[in-house]
Amino acid sequence: MPSKRSEAAEDLNLVPIMNLVTILIPFLLMAAEFVSLAVIDSTLPAIGAPTDPKDEEKEEDKPPLNLSVILTNAGYTVAGSAAVLASANEDGEGGPTVPCKESGCPTVDSYDIKELRRLLNEIKDEYEDEENVILVPESKVPYEVLVKTMDATRDDPTNKVGGKARILFPYVVIAGGAK
Amino acid sequence: MGKKKGRRQVASGDLNITSMMDMMTIILVFLLKSYSTTDVSVAPSDDLMIPVSSTKKKPKLAVHVVISRKEILVDGASILRLGTYADAETGQPTVSVPAEEKRGQMISRLYDKLLEKAETAKDLGARTGDDSFEFKGEILLSCDRRLPFSVIREVMYTAGQAQFGNFRFIVIKG
Repeated sequence: MPSKRSEAAEDLNLVPIMNLVTILIPFLLMAAEFVSLAVIDSTLPAIGAPTDPKDEEKEEDKPPLNLSVILTNAGYTVAGSAAVLASANEDGEGGPTVPCKESGCPTVDSYDIKELRRLLNEIKDEYEDEENVILVPESKVPYEVLVKTMDATRDDPTNKVGGKARILFPYVVIAGGAK
Repeated sequence: MGKKKGRRQVASGDLNITSMMDMMTIILVFLLKSYSTTDVSVAPSDDLMIPVSSTKKKPKLAVHVVISRKEILVDGASILRLGTYADAETGQPTVSVPAEEKRGQMISRLYDKLLEKAETAKDLGARTGDDSFEFKGEILLSCDRRLPFSVIREVMYTAGQAQFGNFRFIVIKG
């Protein structure tokens, strides 16, 4: 008698569950997302950068920075309208501020993102309230370089502030650019 | 004979389903994990390789412009085909918008389509009277990572002319 009962308990009917699972799998496969997407915000320069309203009061003692990063096929040129920054970092005549690791920047990796980040960190030290950056890419610069640069200007994961990546200049404006 | 046949049938019908169930459960859990709730989707292909970025911001539904190396699409509908030309200096093939499609910097056909989309969105915003439907000029751009900036600039300029000023570049979360 006991042996018979245990045999009955073993024979659980899994077929309906199987049916259910087989129907669920194609459905979930359709809704599955194998690449997770994200977005980078940017505005047109004509409309203006999305500034925080509280920024405007703070900046009275300092002239606006107007930090711009110019992307060319020689590297990055970092410029600002403020006289302090221009003398310290801008390298107008003698080529780009952050030159490419290889001449002509043949690949995306030849752009010196690390050095750009270091420089932007220094600028952020000076102008803590500034959150806007203007990117001026040259016509031939590949889109991927633009995205990598926007990543570099947004935050710095190597420089942690309170466990989080240090926010550099999160508001990007893409200007028309140099021909 | 008859008895024997019956017994054999019972034996062959007794398939062990348990291991299959295990497998199915694992697949089910995996698929549930990758279940997407975002309403924006792109299908990457050879002509549309989306760049990887460290941004965390989630995409929100808006007018979606896809710029692959072959064509420009607005909300899934093909607007125009892009041409590939040899670069004057380096001789490397570069993608650009055909000159006959442009009016100055503006891409005429794309402008017409985007203006239509803007009007529809504004109309919708006015009719619902709901702030969340209000037209804010948001536009999603999914571009191939090898595209030169000149193509993207022309699309951005055209979108700007058609009252779309908030660009959201779609990237793969890396």
